[in-house]
Amino acid sequence: MQSAVIPYTRLEVEPGLRRIILFGISFPMVLLILGIVTGFLQVLYRAGIIRAQSFLGIEYYQGLTLHGTINAIVFTTFFAVVFGHAVMRFHTGRPLLLGAAWSSLILMTVGTLMAAVPMLTGDASVLYTFYPPLKAHPVFYIGLVVFVVGSWIAFFSWIPVYKAWKRDHPEHKMPLGVLGTFATFIVWFIATIPVAIELIFLLIPWSLGWTQTVNVPLARMLFWFFGHPLVYFWLLPAYVMYYTMLPKLAGGKLYSDFAGRFTFLWLIVYSAPIGIHHQYTEPGISSSWKFIHMFFTMLVAIPSLVTAFTLAASMEHGARLKGGTGLFGWWKKLPYFDGERWLFSYLFAGLFIFIFGGITGIINASYNLNLVVHNTSWLPAHFHQTVAGPVFLAFLGGSLLLVSTLMGKNVAFRKVAVWVPYIWTLGIMTFSTGLFVGGVNGEPRRTNMGLTYSNPESPLYQSSWEFARIVGSIGGTIMFIAMVLFFLVFFATLLGKRVSEPALEMPVSEPYHDEDVRGVQRLTPWLAGAVLLLILAYTMPFVTVFRDGYEGAPAYSPASPLPQAKQ
Amino acid sequence: MTSQIGVEKKIIAAATVFVLTLSAVIALSVKLYSIDLPTCLTDVKPFTEGAVIQHGPNRYEVQYVAKMWKFEPAEISITPGSTVDIYLAAPDVTHGMQIVGTNVNLMAVPGVVNYARVKFTKPGDYLIVCNEYCGIAHQNMAGVIHVTGDAPPVTAPTKVDAAADARGMELLETHLCTACHSVDGSDGPGPTLKGLHGAQRELGDGSIVTADEEYLRESIVSPEAKIVKNFDDSMPPSEIPPDELAEIIEYLKRLK
Repeated sequence: MQSAVIPYTRLEVEPGLRRIILFGISFPMVLLILGIVTGFLQVLYRAGIIRAQSFLGIEYYQGLTLHGTINAIVFTTFFAVVFGHAVMRFHTGRPLLLGAAWSSLILMTVGTLMAAVPMLTGDASVLYTFYPPLKAHPVFYIGLVVFVVGSWIAFFSWIPVYKAWKRDHPEHKMPLGVLGTFATFIVWFIATIPVAIELIFLLIPWSLGWTQTVNVPLARMLFWFFGHPLVYFWLLPAYVMYYTMLPKLAGGKLYSDFAGRFTFLWLIVYSAPIGIHHQYTEPGISSSWKFIHMFFTMLVAIPSLVTAFTLAASMEHGARLKGGTGLFGWWKKLPYFDGERWLFSYLFAGLFIFIFGGITGIINASYNLNLVVHNTSWLPAHFHQTVAGPVFLAFLGGSLLLVSTLMGKNVAFRKVAVWVPYIWTLGIMTFSTGLFVGGVNGEPRRTNMGLTYSNPESPLYQSSWEFARIVGSIGGTIMFIAMVLFFLVFFATLLGKRVSEPALEMPVSEPYHDEDVRGVQRLTPWLAGAVLLLILAYTMPFVTVFRDGYEGAPAYSPASPLPQAKQ
Repeated sequence: MTSQIGVEKKIIAAATVFVLTLSAVIALSVKLYSIDLPTCLTDVKPFTEGAVIQHGPNRYEVQYVAKMWKFEPAEISITPGSTVDIYLAAPDVTHGMQIVGTNVNLMAVPGVVNYARVKFTKPGDYLIVCNEYCGIAHQNMAGVIHVTGDAPPVTAPTKVDAAADARGMELLETHLCTACHSVDGSDGPGPTLKGLHGAQRELGDGSIVTADEEYLRESIVSPEAKIVKNFDDSMPPSEIPPDELAEIIEYLKRLK
């Protein structure tokens, strides 16, 4: 009953762009193997199966740093950039500025390698949130800056491409995919300015020994100014795929073009002025400002709810066209296991996980409710249901799509490829259940529990966390199996035989309702709103951090309780 | 196609109403049940030593110091029904402090003092967990609050040489040995010191040595010389004055 027509549109692209995209997918994919292995080791440590400080030559917190940095920063940003290239090329039909794209790729690669060296030698075991006064090797921080600057160059290079397109199409609305890509990188740009300030003005001079101390409350506020828009930067490329690809894969149309535009623009405004909701339990910030950030955080849930309903309506449209009936009967007509439309399973499974990720996100943000879950294992459970759910699955599917079409190769083991997201979903739901239960019972996150809390021989052993540990490690194992299968599919596709001419191929959804709403057609008012709201939300908190003149902290190595000697 | 916009506007309106209601409920819970988040205290200066102060029959103030890798005081005993004002300072790096089973969940940030008030009604042993990564022995950083109907337990001296033992323990703490080495028999980032003297030690290269006095001295002064199996060489060499070093070694010999 499935349509035989593959729902993809082809576009021939320049060999240079092909190489940029293929490298930008494959290089982080190789690193991701290490990120996944270190992730799997985490659950073994936490379950008390590994009871040691180190395993396979990787110290626990070193592995945790690698897991977070590779999976959440390197893999995601590389994908966002090269997927941005693909979307800009595809939806404007115009050639990109390849010189800028190469510079961006080279800087990002050099930055990654610079950050990787101290992480691998154990000189940057500060986790991917690098909270001072724990200090990493300066090369780690400098590498991060180089990496971020590289990603900015890609973004800036798309602006003239769009302007040229607009000159040729004065009567057209900005293509939805282009708007989504711009939203992604506007959010990224807003996010990375404070973290660049933290790195360049506070952490790099301090780690080089040029300044003796660092203002910790200031550094933390700058970090979380970055930290929350960062999660929307992860989510937005997935949203671009949801709005521009998923309805077509489901056999229908995007229910509302307006909903997509509203979502992207709203996220530009509200993703950043809410960072203090990560700092609810901290001193030095008044509880009134915490409440204000809580309120803005709730507003950022609106576009996600709009997205959920719009996508459900779009899928329903497709299913009804294929003969689906009844209030719920149409669910049976979606292409869950259709090999031709294998990408559907990646997007659909991610959306399913996101229902739970979204609800737990609202719980975390709910002000005093956060006291129950802050820094417990509840947090990584929520985090994996968002970043390792919709984001990760969409990025895996997108990577496979770009590599297979740009190399003219068939997706290898297509039945396995279709099943990977469902196995992953089973894994992540099991894993999170364990961590959620542990979290509400006080089990901490980011802790080598195998040495103490999960070790029956330790005086700190906690038997009440046993259930959480068992369920969590079973889930983690299923996730690991899903990723072994995915790597098999990905690298077999990469190394497979060429069967067709390489071209960029993507599913393209047409709008069902193509509303003409003026309010969502210009970016500038929304950008002005974003800046205004940031000034409103952050001026006073920053003023207090400066005014109260906190004494700076010297540098500490994670391995010693003594401050590091003056250099 | 403006007719469909009506539906979408209703959906957005419904979402907004949901958000406003949720925020109102939260504000109400703060007011009605006094469960609020920590706020900015500017009148309490950071402190470096832990203290328990009893202000009344059921009123305590505890000044907690969170440092690599322990809480001070690590263990306190109070009676059920007590209300405790908790002040929290971090003299080295950032830590977390969660009293499991309560609403106390605080970040300890260098330079700033955090605060929470908590009432313990049910008797029991409340675990204090450091829930923010603070270095390689983060997993060892915990404490306990005993809420018990009995009078606070009195720690009677059990050894004849109590004063010298107290001095030995003080030296171990002063030189930060106890940050990694326990005296209760449990291994942390470094091996435990309990029962070390006279024991057979297997080294990383498989050889066996006896932990005699000379071994103890060498392991303190140049720790990289002999690395015990399953441990690493992260211990820094120490420059403890000779008289104190001798006292420490004498104490380690007694630590059975």
